[in-house]
Amino acid sequence: MAMMPKRVKHRKSQRGKMKGNASRTNFVAFGEYGLQSLETSWVTARNIEAGRVAATHFLHREGKVYIRIFPHKPVSSKPLETRMGKGKGEPAFWVARVKPGTVLFEIGGVEENVAKQALVRVAHKMPIRCRFVKRRHSL
Amino acid sequence: MEKTLLLEAKLRDDKGTKSAAKLRDQGRIPVVVYGHKKEPISISLNLHDVTEGLHHGHRVVDIELDKKKQTVMFKAVQYDHLGKNIIHADLIRVDAAETIHVNVPIELKGIAIGTHNSGIIEEHTDKLQIECKVTDIPETIVVLVADIDVGDNLHAGDVELPAGIKLLSDPNMLLVTCQLVAAAKTTEQLEEEVPTAPEVIGEAKPEEGEEAGEAKE
Repeated sequence: MAMMPKRVKHRKSQRGKMKGNASRTNFVAFGEYGLQSLETSWVTARNIEAGRVAATHFLHREGKVYIRIFPHKPVSSKPLETRMGKGKGEPAFWVARVKPGTVLFEIGGVEENVAKQALVRVAHKMPIRCRFVKRRHSL
Repeated sequence: MEKTLLLEAKLRDDKGTKSAAKLRDQGRIPVVVYGHKKEPISISLNLHDVTEGLHHGHRVVDIELDKKKQTVMFKAVQYDHLGKNIIHADLIRVDAAETIHVNVPIELKGIAIGTHNSGIIEEHTDKLQIECKVTDIPETIVVLVADIDVGDNLHAGDVELPAGIKLLSDPNMLLVTCQLVAAAKTTEQLEEEVPTAPEVIGEAKPEEGEEAGEAKE
């Protein structure tokens, strides 16, 4: 497993609900270009790692990739062919909660067309619809 | 100085979320005007005009309200969750001869020497606070990065400002750096760094030779 917290307060968590839109992490802050989520979803640590590998392979040591999300939430599952009951399953994988507007990845130090091509490759690895965004200069 | 943009404003009587949402449906945005020790007023402006004005670098605009013109400056702009549309703006009253404090975005110009030596340019800050006359607010402040090599830094104090503009930001504030690109880690390297399971705060660690499963029993 690529990304997971080092320390947690509780090993398992309830599923929770994801309502509304992103009110933070919703603008390009580190790089010049970013990939913004248009849907609500869980993005697994595997998805994030696949996106990171896709971007870094494409960039060939040019530019810098920033990952703006982290899988904080453990998702548990029961083993196959197990009867119901006997308590909650063991944590199986980790997910990041993503709302519409969340910037998932950022790229800096490359031309716009290169960043766009890299982020399109990342978007293909994501379980949600995404769009390419640029850094907006604040007033 | 370029021509000032004139925006037609309408006074807003209803306030609150619902009336603001109705306004936005009609292609207008709620705006508040304040400053000069006068009462703040709630107005609405055409969204398209505001977006176009800001896109073309107009910071100081004239608004026409009840056939009276007043000069104002965009103080803050709020965007929706996707950063696409403007949903609210703050305008501050200004006089043409007034000296004001304003944040101006920086624009990097040139190709740094460091980029030819496997380095990348990192922009740490994208705006500078300056003091200038209302009529002299630049659209951007040009920062020349052509001479920056790997390991070099550019601070706010190093930027050459146009005449009549005073820097208010900390001169030691880091603007741009040029650093070598570190080789991206492989999945295997990352897996070695990350533990197989996270440590649970407050839970006793299993002693050596004793497995986690045994500890539970």
